[in-house]
Amino acid sequence: MSDRTCGALREQVPDLAAGRLAAEEASSLSRHVALCEACREELALARLLLDGRAEAPAGLERRVLEAVRRDRPGVGRPWWALSAAAVAALALGIGIVSEPAGEVEVPGYAYEVEEGTFWSSEDGLIAGAPTFEDLSDEALAQLLAELTAGGPGGAV
Amino acid sequence: MREDGRSVADVPDAELVAQGRSGVESALSELVKRHHGSAYRLALSLVQREDVAQDVVQDAFLKAFRALGGFRGDASFRTWLLKITANEARGALRKRARARETALEDAGAVRADAKDPAEETMVSQESARARRLLETLPDKQRLSVSLRIDEGLSFREVGEIIGSSEGAARVNYFHGIRRLRELMDEGIDE
Repeated sequence: MSDRTCGALREQVPDLAAGRLAAEEASSLSRHVALCEACREELALARLLLDGRAEAPAGLERRVLEAVRRDRPGVGRPWWALSAAAVAALALGIGIVSEPAGEVEVPGYAYEVEEGTFWSSEDGLIAGAPTFEDLSDEALAQLLAELTAGGPGGAV
Repeated sequence: MREDGRSVADVPDAELVAQGRSGVESALSELVKRHHGSAYRLALSLVQREDVAQDVVQDAFLKAFRALGGFRGDASFRTWLLKITANEARGALRKRARARETALEDAGAVRADAKDPAEETMVSQESARARRLLETLPDKQRLSVSLRIDEGLSFREVGEIIGSSEGAARVNYFHGIRRLRELMDEGIDE
C-alpha cells in the first residue's frame, strides 16, 4: 500500500472508529488497517477519544427548548388557535369588503390589540383585516367557539 | 409519526429548517435534539467550563433560529450552527478573559466531571487521559481533531468552523493527531 493511498484512507479512520462508514467501506478500510501500523495506531487513538467524548448534560436539551419557546412566542401556540385566527381574519375581512346591507357587528374581543396596530394592510391575510397575531389565545378560542356555534363572527 | 408516514427522526435537516421557519415547534425541537450534543462539545472545548458552555449552546440556538430566514443552506444546518456556536464561545471567552485560566488553575468543572468516580468506571483511564491531553493542544489542532473524530465533519466543514481553509484544517488535524500520539507514548499526563 503506497503512502499516498494510505493518506487517503487515513482520513477515513475516524469514521471507521465511530461506525460512520457503510459496510463495504468499513470492510475495505479494515483490511488496510490490519496491514498498516500507522493507521492501526490512529484507529486506536480515535477509539480512545470517542470513548471519552463528553456528553451534553441531561437538562441541556430541555433548557434550550424552553429558551426557544420564550424567544419565539408564536412557537408552541396550538394549531387550532392559528386555524381559528385564520378563519377569524378571513371572516372579518369578507364581512368588511362585501359590505352587506345590514350592519355587521364586530365582536369586541377582536379589538384586543393596542391602538394603532389594529389595521395592517401588510400583515393581515386580507387588506384591512386585523392581524390575528395580535389577538390573544383567549380571544381566538372564544372566536372559534362562536364561529362554530354560528355566533357573531360566524354569521358572515 | 407524521402525516406522511415518516418519523420525525427520518426527516432531513433541510426540511426541518424549512418547517422551523414557519414556526413548527416539533421541527425546531428535533433540530435541538439532534445537534445540542455537538454544539455542547464544541463550546466546552473552547470555553472549558460546563456552565459557560451551556450558556453558549443556548445562545447559539437562539441566534440560529432567529436567523433561520436568512439561512441559505450553502452549508449544512449543523455546520452553520457549529460556526455560530464557535463565535458565541469566542465571545464568551472575550467577556470572561480569565475563564480558561481559572478552569485550568482550579481543575474546574470539566476535569472534575471527567474524574467523577462513577464515570471512571465507564470510561477507561486511557480514554480520559487521551481527552485530557487533547485539551493541551493548540486551539486549531484541538478543534480539528475533535470536530473530525467526535462529530465526523469533513475537513471543509472543519475549516469553515475554525476559520481556515480545508487544507489548513487537514494539516491541523494530522499535526494534532501526531502530537497526541507523541504525548500518549511519552507517558505525559496533562
